Amino acid sequence: MKRLYSNKFYILVFLLPALLLFCGVLIAPIITSLYYSFFNWNGIGAKAFIGLANYKELFTSNSIGFLRALRNSLLLAALSVFLQLPLALALALTLGKKIKGERTFLSVYFMPVLISTVVIGQLWLKIYNPDYGVLNVLLRSIGLEKWTKVWLGTKETALGAVFVPTLWQYVGYHMLLLYAGVKSVPPELREAAMLDGATDGQINRFVVLPYIKPIIRISVIFAITGSLKSFDLIYVLTNGGPLHSTEVPSTLMINMLFLRNRYGMGSTIAVMLIILCFGFALLINAIFKEED
Amino acid sequence: MKKILALILALCLVLSLCACAKQSGSGNKDGKKTLTMWCIATESDANRPAYEKAAEEFKANHPDVDFQWEAFENESYKTKIKAAMSDPESLPDIFFTWAGAFLGDFVAAGNVYCLDEAYKGFSKELPEVMLQNASYGGKHYGVPLTMNIVTLFANMDLLAEAGWDHVPETYEDLTACCDALVAKGIIPFGCAGKETWCVTEYLEPIIEKTIGYESLNKIFAGEASWNDPDIATAVSTFQDMINKGYFDPAGAGLGNDEVKANFINGQYAFYQNGSWNCGEVNDAAGNFQVALFPVMNADKATYSQVIGGPSDTLAVAATASDPAFAATAAFELGRTICHYGYLAGSGLPAWTPDYDTSEVKKLVSDVAKIVAESDGMVLFGDTAMSGDPANTYLDYVSRVYGCEIDGKAFVDGLKKDIG
Amino acid sequence: MRNISKGRRVAIYIGLILWMLINLFPVYWMFTFSLKSNAEIFGDNVVGLPKQWLWSNYTSALNTGRMGKYFLNSTIVAVATILITLAVALMATFALTRLIWRQRKTLNKFFMLGLTIPIHASIVPIYVTLSRLHMLNTYWALIIPYAAFSLSMAILVCTGFMNELPRELDESACIDGCGVWGIFFRIIVPLMKPAVATVGIYTFLQCWNELMFANIFISKTELKTLPVGVQALSGQYTTAWGPIGAALVLATFPTLFIYIFLSKKIQDSFIAGAIKG
Repeated sequence: MKRLYSNKFYILVFLLPALLLFCGVLIAPIITSLYYSFFNWNGIGAKAFIGLANYKELFTSNSIGFLRALRNSLLLAALSVFLQLPLALALALTLGKKIKGERTFLSVYFMPVLISTVVIGQLWLKIYNPDYGVLNVLLRSIGLEKWTKVWLGTKETALGAVFVPTLWQYVGYHMLLLYAGVKSVPPELREAAMLDGATDGQINRFVVLPYIKPIIRISVIFAITGSLKSFDLIYVLTNGGPLHSTEVPSTLMINMLFLRNRYGMGSTIAVMLIILCFGFALLINAIFKEED
Repeated sequence: MKKILALILALCLVLSLCACAKQSGSGNKDGKKTLTMWCIATESDANRPAYEKAAEEFKANHPDVDFQWEAFENESYKTKIKAAMSDPESLPDIFFTWAGAFLGDFVAAGNVYCLDEAYKGFSKELPEVMLQNASYGGKHYGVPLTMNIVTLFANMDLLAEAGWDHVPETYEDLTACCDALVAKGIIPFGCAGKETWCVTEYLEPIIEKTIGYESLNKIFAGEASWNDPDIATAVSTFQDMINKGYFDPAGAGLGNDEVKANFINGQYAFYQNGSWNCGEVNDAAGNFQVALFPVMNADKATYSQVIGGPSDTLAVAATASDPAFAATAAFELGRTICHYGYLAGSGLPAWTPDYDTSEVKKLVSDVAKIVAESDGMVLFGDTAMSGDPANTYLDYVSRVYGCEIDGKAFVDGLKKDIG
Repeated sequence: MRNISKGRRVAIYIGLILWMLINLFPVYWMFTFSLKSNAEIFGDNVVGLPKQWLWSNYTSALNTGRMGKYFLNSTIVAVATILITLAVALMATFALTRLIWRQRKTLNKFFMLGLTIPIHASIVPIYVTLSRLHMLNTYWALIIPYAAFSLSMAILVCTGFMNELPRELDESACIDGCGVWGIFFRIIVPLMKPAVATVGIYTFLQCWNELMFANIFISKTELKTLPVGVQALSGQYTTAWGPIGAALVLATFPTLFIYIFLSKKIQDSFIAGAIKG
């Protein structure tokens, strides 16, 4: 058995497809991006090596606005962790208690996850339409005329208007993950706590939550890296506008690569994004370890 | 650890080698020559019928050629064509492009085939001046299709409601007219804030009519600085109009198609945008007229100075399987697209018409008259400037429309970031 | 639920139903406006059922919008991506958890790096590679990148799962004379079914949603996918919402129907997969 499993040939054969795919599509392009991030290059002409100048400009230039984009996506990450996840957790805890219609609720809550992001974007574009959108029509019909807004066209409201569908779409996803955890809590643990006279809230806090901590950790990592990487919905809804108020690093990167012809700078943003996502993943792991 | 690292590096190396090993694709299939084209004439585009006719005629004239063309939505096309430039092998034989700096970058990279040779056969029908926006270093690289200028469309029925029977020709009249409209509860202008180029359709004529076309041309070409107090004044005038409620506030969140539809449905008295809309506006129910934005500073500018020029262009990839043939094909296609585009009202002809033009729509021939009488022309700013400065400029324009910065901050900022 | 007061129970249900309505409303609204004329959508019947059921909106979405074709393309890409991701991930996981060699932990961590890489970061290098390999304008141009970007997550889920399978299984199979392939295919793979569902859903979501790669790597109308089609169609019908609504419905409802039929199965295996992962 041990000899069979130590065979170098099999190890290679089983790993090769994954390594090929992984290195070819993920790692090699990242290395290329890292290389290009040291150049001033428009993507088609001659390259000029400029060292770390792109990185410096990224953090100092107001006209690029990377820090603003970063702030937006960190805000989204924070909302995701402190609003979306608690909501998902509350739903998961409630549904995990053998409520009538549990399955129906579960199915409906997961539905938005299955709808294509572009479809959700187009749908919400229609919901936010200043003249005919449901939101403004609703506000008008209940006499709140003055609350109607050009939701996606006003700097003050656009970011919020973009965040709502972004957060809404994935509540179901996190809920199902956490629900799975809640369901896996051994009934004996619950019963023992109940015999000790624990209330529902206490059971959740002292029995269920510690038990599903690993899943919460995964959820938090997904929520944060997902927020940092978010692109499609924002691209469809505002593409970073109005006045860059909804810009996130990914939209900025596409802007640099394809509109401003600044390939080197686009690559720099790509590298920064990866570093950030990776850093956060490590950080979250460390925090959860600390607590143990 | 070392072994794994070595393995991974080796893999990456092999993969990049695979990627670099060029395989040459053959342009010939069953003895038929293949010719491919990318453009932006999607089903909703005003130019679609013209492209369809051109493709049909081309296929009829060249039965031995397998002509394939694909249309993409405007915004995604910009992304697509730039990605394709990163590997010229993936370019089609003929591609749509905008003249000016957009095509210039591709030419500088050596990805575009020079059309001088092929042009000789068409010089009688296509005046050389029409090729100037797509010429670099004295060589021609693009076939112009139609040309367009910024046009002020006016809904005469709405103007009549406010007591005006003509389009105002001075700025004082325009303000008076707008005030009358606002008093009647009619919104004077619609402008799509979601697409910044629509804002430039308003701002550029105002700047031109303040500082004159020669000065603006120099600024766009990078020969003069943005730091001109008159530009600051022009920007402030534009913002005055916004603050006086001349513009639909909902426009900030709308795209151009939505704003255009609102204008055609009679929600706005004026709509200033490209002359390619003439056909559509002409065919809509209502009484519409075309005009130019009035003069702001009579010392420096005249009424007949316009913004625009030939910009829609076909170019030939240097990697085309038979570039000489593709070049001739581009001219033939360009000629037909121009012909039917003009008749359909989606633009003015860059090619000299050799066909019956009595069918041309009224608004189109009105604009053609304006162009014929024009004193000077400035190409659209975002076309004239190259990617990075053009987008910086668009950024500032959108901040002007959002009233985030005033005229002074506009010129100061542009001077700092562009020059 | 037994020690909860009636009042609280009612409150909980109200909350649950409210959230259910919030989730159902966009779908409902999308369906109704797909059957309305502009006059109704823009008029006073914004949220009600259509007065006149305009099925012609669907004809335009299907004909002009070619939604049927796009749906088929998206399905082909999604199915192929899921199959490839699963095959590759299961093999890799087998090597990472069962086979014996040094540094397998390091390599596992290396694969987890993929969870942090945003798909858009590598768009141009991948484009150039695909172009050189003459794979642009084929389904492969999407399947390969999508599979690669789903791989890390798939390995993560499968690892947790495979670790749970008792080693005795392998050993008894080995004694019965099974080779490595035999153990993998006859013993391990059949026991990984729940993980398969979890990975399948995750991969499906990735490739069903993706817009940028699909837009840039595919230049032939016959090969375009749903997100690109929906995006292009909405550009074409900015002012006629009916056909856009119809396209959105066509892009959404088939998946929803399949989901409703399979929801219990999907949820069960998702739950099983998530716990182990």
